[in-house]
Amino acid sequence: MPQPVQYRGMALIVPDNDSEWKEFYEHARAHRLVVRKCKACGLMRYPPTHACPWCMELGWTWQEVSGRGTIYSYEIVAHAIQPGFREQTPYAVVLIELDEQRGQPTPDEALRVIANLVKADFTPEAEANVAIGRRVRVVFQDLADHMALPQFTLTEEPASGRVWRMPE
Amino acid sequence: MVVQSRGLRDKYCIVGVGETEYSRASGRTTRAMAVEAIRKAILDAGLTAADVDGMLDYQGGDSTLANSVASDLGIRFNFYMDVMGGGSSTEALVGLAMGAIEAGMCNTVAIYRSMNGYSEFRIGGTGARAAQPVRGLDLAQVPYGMRSAGQNFAPTFMRHMYEYGTTSAQVAHVRVAHSKHASQNPKALLKQRVTVQDVLASRWIVKPLHLLDCCLETDNATCVIVTSAERARNLKHRPVHILGVAGRVSKPRLDFHWAHGPISRVAGYYAKDIIFPQAGIGPEDVDVTGSYDAFTFTTMLQLEEYGFCKKGEGGAYVSSGIIELGGQRPNNTSGSHLCEGYTHGMSMVIENVRQLRGAVDDYCPRAAEGVHTYDYSPGHCRQVKDAEITMNLGWAMPATGSALIMRRG
Repeated sequence: MPQPVQYRGMALIVPDNDSEWKEFYEHARAHRLVVRKCKACGLMRYPPTHACPWCMELGWTWQEVSGRGTIYSYEIVAHAIQPGFREQTPYAVVLIELDEQRGQPTPDEALRVIANLVKADFTPEAEANVAIGRRVRVVFQDLADHMALPQFTLTEEPASGRVWRMPE
Repeated sequence: MVVQSRGLRDKYCIVGVGETEYSRASGRTTRAMAVEAIRKAILDAGLTAADVDGMLDYQGGDSTLANSVASDLGIRFNFYMDVMGGGSSTEALVGLAMGAIEAGMCNTVAIYRSMNGYSEFRIGGTGARAAQPVRGLDLAQVPYGMRSAGQNFAPTFMRHMYEYGTTSAQVAHVRVAHSKHASQNPKALLKQRVTVQDVLASRWIVKPLHLLDCCLETDNATCVIVTSAERARNLKHRPVHILGVAGRVSKPRLDFHWAHGPISRVAGYYAKDIIFPQAGIGPEDVDVTGSYDAFTFTTMLQLEEYGFCKKGEGGAYVSSGIIELGGQRPNNTSGSHLCEGYTHGMSMVIENVRQLRGAVDDYCPRAAEGVHTYDYSPGHCRQVKDAEITMNLGWAMPATGSALIMRRG
């Protein structure tokens, strides 16, 4: 795999022997969001890991998920640390709870993913639209022939539960 | 899983403490600073270099390791380890020092942290660190502009506001209290008292954190010395006994703790069940707390998780006046990371040792003799009257923390 991939001043390195991320990003480049699914108990997990955190089984397969979910929490970065993000401020980092496997295997657990909340052109969504409970879907920001970054964008679906923004 | 206490309550002591100046331009190496802090702690204890035969330090590739600093001081080891770690390491290493002595490996252990945390390796990840390549688990967050500690913790704080109605004004009281304490501390970098309005009017860093919700990157070195209670009896100061310790206790899914909620829960949820039975006390018995203040929110989250108030009521607790000098249970009486300087936690243990000795270094004219006025107006006293039991709550991240309970001998 050619590397590194340059993105916002960062060198993203996914070597051929990266047994966690290489195939994940290849799927993302084909615009599929995948997670690992345990061959024994069937539970899914993210980020990619090498044993099932619930049953310690080593066997797994990539499982495509719908990419639909709900904003579980967020932050608005006003002061960027990375130089490549300075022109993006203010930008939202969101914690997305995917629809699949919510509240399993215990009520506190879910498939959750960190990403930016973006508009169609991958620029940051307006801060006023960022809220816990808003529905989102995955979009893929192509970075190279072999790599795309999963991002999330708002949908028009009704909110899931209480919609909440930090008070002004 | 229940962790069995090993009957070490009261058997070990912290006998010496030392630190360098807190600054933003030390102009010297971490080796030079470590040597100064360790030497001060050895002298503070009334020991000599020959009495110190163990050493532990923590760092993140940003410091000088034990072999160099020990050689500078003429120390020969029976035991030493250099450990990777930042916040919550101090308490954990106090426990490991007890373990090394208990195992018969050595007699007395100096624990240090030395960092040019502002002038060289900034904790916030700015400068050289921001330019490092991104690989492995970092790919799950860093490409999204989530790299600094504040950026890593903010969704936890936001979710707490959502779940419990916690407000910015409530947690701003942590800064208000710690700035009050710093105004009594000649060592503190920021001695000016601030108001809730000052915090809320300061610029946004990463919502829900304002600038004044964040600590102060600093150059410094710090040291504490651990030995057995038996040896401590013959040393210079009234001994400070260790009642219990919990080291780097974690939540599930430490690789990506967001996977296992509630994300507003922090590691103290698990650590409290280790440390309180060990110490044989409860939160109500603690006179002074040292809840790690990398951010105002970290202090609040830990105080509620360890049971100083009910879960979800941390905002009300920290804004009630309880945590201020003169309140029922002051927190971080030195002003600590928000105002004194950022040390990765050791300074909060040092402060509590001094509180238990009755000998904090405030502006009281006879502070050096342990005579205090208990006048908490600006520029005066920060000694808590008759402090008998203190508790440190160390923070690495929402999912990892440590704790240490001490009592005066």
